[in-house]
Amino acid sequence: MPSVLIVNGRVIDPASGMDQVADVAIADGIVAAVGPKLDRSRADQIIDAGDCIVTPGLIDPHVHLREPGMEEAETIRSGSAASADGGFTTVCCMPNTTPAIDDDAMIEYVYTAAELDPQTGNRLPRGARVFPVGAVSKGRKGEELAEIMLMAKAGAVGFSDDGDCVASAGLMRTALSYIKPTGLSLMQHCQDMSLTRGASMHAGSISTTLGLGGWPRVAEETVIERDVRLNRGIGCPYHVQHLSSGGSVAIIRAARKEGLPVSAEVSPHHLLLTHEEVLKHGGYWTNAKMNPPLREQTDINAILEGVADGTITILATDHAPHTRDRKALDFEAAPFGIVGIETALALYIKALIEPGVIDWPRMIAMMTIEPARLCGLDRLDAPSGPGAAALGWVHRSGLGLGRLHVGAAGDVTVIDPKHEWTIDASKFLSLCRNTPFDGWKVRGRAVATVIAGEVVLDRRVGVVGAR
Amino acid sequence: MSTNAPTRTAPVASGGTAAPADPNEILSRWNRRALLGLQDLSAEEIRTLLALASSFADVSERSVKKVPALRGRVVANLFFEDSTRTRLSFTLAAQRLSADVIDLTESGSSVSKGETIADTVRNVEAMGVDALVIRHKAAGAALVAAKAVKCAVINAGDGKHEHPTQGLLDIYTLIESRAHAKPADPFDLRGVRVAIVGDIVSSRVARSNIAGLTKLGAQVICVGPPTLAPRSLEALGCQIEHDLDAVLPHVDAINMLRIQFERHASAEEGRASHKSSSNAFPSLREYTQGFALTRERAARLKPSTIVMHPGPMNRGIEIAGDVADGEKSVIFRQVTNGLPVRMAALFACVSAEERGRTTI
Repeated sequence: MPSVLIVNGRVIDPASGMDQVADVAIADGIVAAVGPKLDRSRADQIIDAGDCIVTPGLIDPHVHLREPGMEEAETIRSGSAASADGGFTTVCCMPNTTPAIDDDAMIEYVYTAAELDPQTGNRLPRGARVFPVGAVSKGRKGEELAEIMLMAKAGAVGFSDDGDCVASAGLMRTALSYIKPTGLSLMQHCQDMSLTRGASMHAGSISTTLGLGGWPRVAEETVIERDVRLNRGIGCPYHVQHLSSGGSVAIIRAARKEGLPVSAEVSPHHLLLTHEEVLKHGGYWTNAKMNPPLREQTDINAILEGVADGTITILATDHAPHTRDRKALDFEAAPFGIVGIETALALYIKALIEPGVIDWPRMIAMMTIEPARLCGLDRLDAPSGPGAAALGWVHRSGLGLGRLHVGAAGDVTVIDPKHEWTIDASKFLSLCRNTPFDGWKVRGRAVATVIAGEVVLDRRVGVVGAR
Repeated sequence: MSTNAPTRTAPVASGGTAAPADPNEILSRWNRRALLGLQDLSAEEIRTLLALASSFADVSERSVKKVPALRGRVVANLFFEDSTRTRLSFTLAAQRLSADVIDLTESGSSVSKGETIADTVRNVEAMGVDALVIRHKAAGAALVAAKAVKCAVINAGDGKHEHPTQGLLDIYTLIESRAHAKPADPFDLRGVRVAIVGDIVSSRVARSNIAGLTKLGAQVICVGPPTLAPRSLEALGCQIEHDLDAVLPHVDAINMLRIQFERHASAEEGRASHKSSSNAFPSLREYTQGFALTRERAARLKPSTIVMHPGPMNRGIEIAGDVADGEKSVIFRQVTNGLPVRMAALFACVSAEERGRTTI
């Protein structure tokens, strides 16, 4: 494997606290050296990262890759390629597929689809690493526990019924205690269904005006309150997915202050958009239809506060591809969600860096070591999965993802913070274009992505020393 | 078969320095007319029952399997919950003591006509019964019965609470398996580690075992998924683990419990007899991969470790057939030892009642 040297960048590694101009050398798929003025003579490829930020490969712990079951919207392969284009070297896919990812065979299927062409056995062109999140309940029906331990052994990196809430308190308590010994997290889609029947957008002045069913904040908040209480005596890592309500921030802040193992993620659209978005493009704009819904400026303010004070520790896109045909349905019938993996980085910069909510090292932490810890991918000790070693896969934990120091995985993202560009959905590598951000002028972009020591993306003419 | 249970003689008689005492001498140390659970007993009381059982052990080996200890006495079996082995064992135990035995089962009894437990046992007592052996699905049922009558009462299992004679016979079997080493005090179990594996939360056998073993100094490690072996059970004085493979090499005995599907089934799903899943774990496949005593796992036990099971076994689920029938298995010794243990319990409680003891 050719060695790669990334030179002259501002190297930010939140895990080790590093933030200085340095070179990063990658050989044999791992970080071989980090420091000033490394020897260039032995590098096969040199990437000039002058004026750029060099970070551990970005990690998104919440994407929907639609395979199996909805391959017209996305596949593991297309989603993996789109992720690398967006600067992400690792993504974790949610189990709301058809059939659901709810047993060990399905977990192995995701690894197979991500790493190998099942027909030829050849390695696919590399995109981002894809790790599966397994379902909490069989078929995501919220009735019976799924095969948690078998999935954990097969390589699940967390458990979620995402798309649906684990509604029953009884099942939730069982799941929390059952998942705890795996060391993985229960990621909850917080939505009390009895409060959101017929709801398609935030319950407020606009839903009233448009005659659309309203989705109250409390539908999210009550689930978080309940789960935090259920988990108090259990202590399973509990993670709130795609937080939308300002009230939720306060609940999570209080729980974390108590020392409870509670974390939360927020998505670009909940940082930047409000329910007014639904009025755009002539109204009833389905690219503004999300689950949970876009809310109000007061919510955004509370969420930004939560990011600033460390209540919210993770950024996640909730990348949710839907075909044009399905998004062209009437507002109530159209599916929830937007794509996000190719626009997220620039949007986080717009929402968090430009207004000075947090600094670069903190934002990078929220996109690297924090999600890596959430999914148990940060560890450097290597428990190897059965069968994985035999096939030469490098898909299990123990890789040291989300880190950029000697011995960590050779996953690096080079970000040009000054790169100005216009979001053009027609250029997406994702199979879908459903984004409300099309046409936005943004600043900051991943210009190079290195995954397992391989240069997957090189947007500038940055390879100066190939030989 | 059971190479680790080499003796057919009683553990005290063969291993202890204390010579097997006269039953009447032992009995002077027992003052309860009821045996409701091992949680209530002192270590001394447990030793007393085990010593008494030991003195009865050879009765089963004789061609005439009877002693006249309870001649003319009447023992009533009141089994309000299904049982074959335990009822048969109590019946035989009573018969070996020369008692007469009557049986009452739930179907066709006044219980199915709405009578309370207290009234049922008072009625039975009023007909001149000396000892009641009661099994009921409700925890605390044996206590209710014991308070309602003046005669002897033996708890043969009350819900998820206790099954003291099973606990005693398990301990008796463990002691028997160690007899060849001729310990100075066979009832001193300090330094002995026992794993109880499986459905701990539903198990009265586990509760009785934990109580009895820990009182004699043994360390008990309960192993199962967090839903079947929750941390809250540490309150019983045992250690809780969720990784059977880590525990295996460190124990002297491993007691495998059946999954009590009937106690985990959710009522609305009507899964009472459906043995593929329960509310407590996702599938039998997942359960067996984590917690079954397979041949591979049994091979990682110490050579001296004994394998126990209180029955009924679900072969291929919690225990592989090869292991149940293998050389480490003492499962049928447990059944055999049930007789002297139950003889001891019946004789001790009836004698105490006779001596005017009212303690329960």
